[in-house]
Amino acid sequence: MSGKNCVAIASDKRFGVKYLTISMEFPKMFQATDKTFIGISGLATDVQTLMERFRFKINMYRMNEERDFEPITLANMVSSTLYERRFSPYFVEPIVAGLDKNNNPYINGMDLIGCSTTACDFAATGTPEDQLYGTCEALWEPNLEPEELFETISQTIMSATNRDCVSGWGAVVHVITPERVITRTLKTRMD
Amino acid sequence: MARSYDRALTVFSPDGHLFQVEYAIEAVRKGTCAVGVRGKNCVVLGVEKKSVLKLQDPRTVRKIVMLDDHVCMAFAGLSADARVLVNKARVECQSHRLTVEDPVSIEYITCYIASVQQKYTQSGGVRPFGISTLIMGFDANDKTPRLYQTDPSGIYYAWKIEIWLKASNYGDYFNKDGQELSSNTVREFLEKNYHDELSTDEAIKLTVRSLLEVVQTGAKNIEIAVMTLDAGIKNLEIDEVEGIVTEIEKEKEAEAEKKKKPSASTST
Amino acid sequence: MECIFGFTGKDFVMTATDSTVAQSILIVKSTEDKSRALSKRILLLFAGESGDTVQFAEFIQRNVRLYEIRNGVELSTKSAATFTRRELADNLRSRKQYSVNLILAGYDLTTELPSLYQLDYLGSSVSAPFAAHGYAAHFLFSIFDRYHRPDLSLEEAKALMKMCVGELQRRFLVNLSHFTVKVVDKDGIREIAI
Repeated sequence: MSGKNCVAIASDKRFGVKYLTISMEFPKMFQATDKTFIGISGLATDVQTLMERFRFKINMYRMNEERDFEPITLANMVSSTLYERRFSPYFVEPIVAGLDKNNNPYINGMDLIGCSTTACDFAATGTPEDQLYGTCEALWEPNLEPEELFETISQTIMSATNRDCVSGWGAVVHVITPERVITRTLKTRMD
Repeated sequence: MARSYDRALTVFSPDGHLFQVEYAIEAVRKGTCAVGVRGKNCVVLGVEKKSVLKLQDPRTVRKIVMLDDHVCMAFAGLSADARVLVNKARVECQSHRLTVEDPVSIEYITCYIASVQQKYTQSGGVRPFGISTLIMGFDANDKTPRLYQTDPSGIYYAWKIEIWLKASNYGDYFNKDGQELSSNTVREFLEKNYHDELSTDEAIKLTVRSLLEVVQTGAKNIEIAVMTLDAGIKNLEIDEVEGIVTEIEKEKEAEAEKKKKPSASTST
Repeated sequence: MECIFGFTGKDFVMTATDSTVAQSILIVKSTEDKSRALSKRILLLFAGESGDTVQFAEFIQRNVRLYEIRNGVELSTKSAATFTRRELADNLRSRKQYSVNLILAGYDLTTELPSLYQLDYLGSSVSAPFAAHGYAAHFLFSIFDRYHRPDLSLEEAKALMKMCVGELQRRFLVNLSHFTVKVVDKDGIREIAI
């Protein structure tokens, strides 16, 4: 979700098989660069494999180029990595969110074979995708300040996951500002 | 005439030699010394260790390596080549356990290493390994200590004792006769002192003593690994080696005294 | 029908596997050990397609051992879990995949902490204070939620283990007569009676 010179990304913490919850400490996002995060929803094994592969590619890029990924470059890398497996895809839907070198928010959501869409407002994936889009639509407004953005994204993810019986069990929110990344965990319904 | 033949890798020369292999054996000769002694219930490997610089970590300079829980290997020659061979051998050890559950027999792994070495004398675009290896260990369900040797050509032998000696310095490299001579002295010494019933302590002592023939600087340049059936592989600490060295020196002195005395008594 | 589970205690991990081998409706063996030691202080429990399980576990076991011999250091439980997970995940997209569910229990000397990882046949891995696979999960997670504490002593853990086994034997349709219980701590892996 984008704000005024800031972006926020949030995920729930549930890991489960069908209706059996196995872990409540399974965040689905990781920090790619100082000002960029990748969130991946989907099949847990692919989420983990891709996190490892992206981490590898990001480190290689940093060492070869002596600079960090710009969010747009990162999104292209993610997209082409997914398209490599066009005919046996990873079952994931990633979101790239970050601030570019001019501190403008950048948000990109894509499908499992890397068809990406850049959004100026918000992007959502996962089982409660429909609910998320609904709540986003209702709560989001342009040019939110970091604290307002945090409040908005938190309300959004809590309302949406509470209506979805296979997501929730706690949530993590990262608000990326030019100066720092604010990370907070949310207590939500645990049932 | 021979010149044009040794350029290509491992091609026969007109008189039936494989120069590359012979050069590899030469590289082993230039390397440091290694001795293996098989006792009654043990095998001992000893190698001459290059002096380590003050700031270097001595643990990273190893000439005796583990291949598996029950197999140890020492090598002489190019350490860089050894690493590759050691790696292949270690994978084979684990792979053998995976496929047949049993650990490798010492002969099997020796045969494997030798066949890898042989492959590198007969394939295109490669050069032979510049190392000879000494492999020791115990077979599963067997109490007999085993000691084998392989060389760059891919031959392997079982041994009671094995030694290699390097030329004492690079100047001697071309002086083949001198080198053979020193190698033979130690071999003769070992042949004289070896018997089948060596105890562990005796075997260690024999190893150190033969190493001392070539290692002038004493204990700090000697690395010893002892393998017994119940205790497994053990690397001796530097003070232990030092202890043995001083013991040997004392014995030598006593011997020299003894030799002197009778001669003195006859002269009077 | 197989049950494997485990939980962490104060300075140890306690694990249990049922020791039954069944083919269709027939019990073939009741003293099977469904675990392999990956190193001195890492234990791998497995359940799933028979054949796949042992094959995969021993493959991991040999690779971990190879790593130790090559590098002269022991793998941490986390590293072993990551390696195992990756092998499973890569294997998932092959022609014939392993169908193995795993639990990795280990004690790390460097951190002096016990750790437990639950891996499923797809290759998802989670670090958890307690883990269970198969039907056992349906019975045991609630017990763990209620009675498990991270600072359990060995005696308390044994009592908890008794509760788990008791629950399975009372409420689970399938008769699992015997469980192999093991403890992993700083001294290594040992089997215990409960």
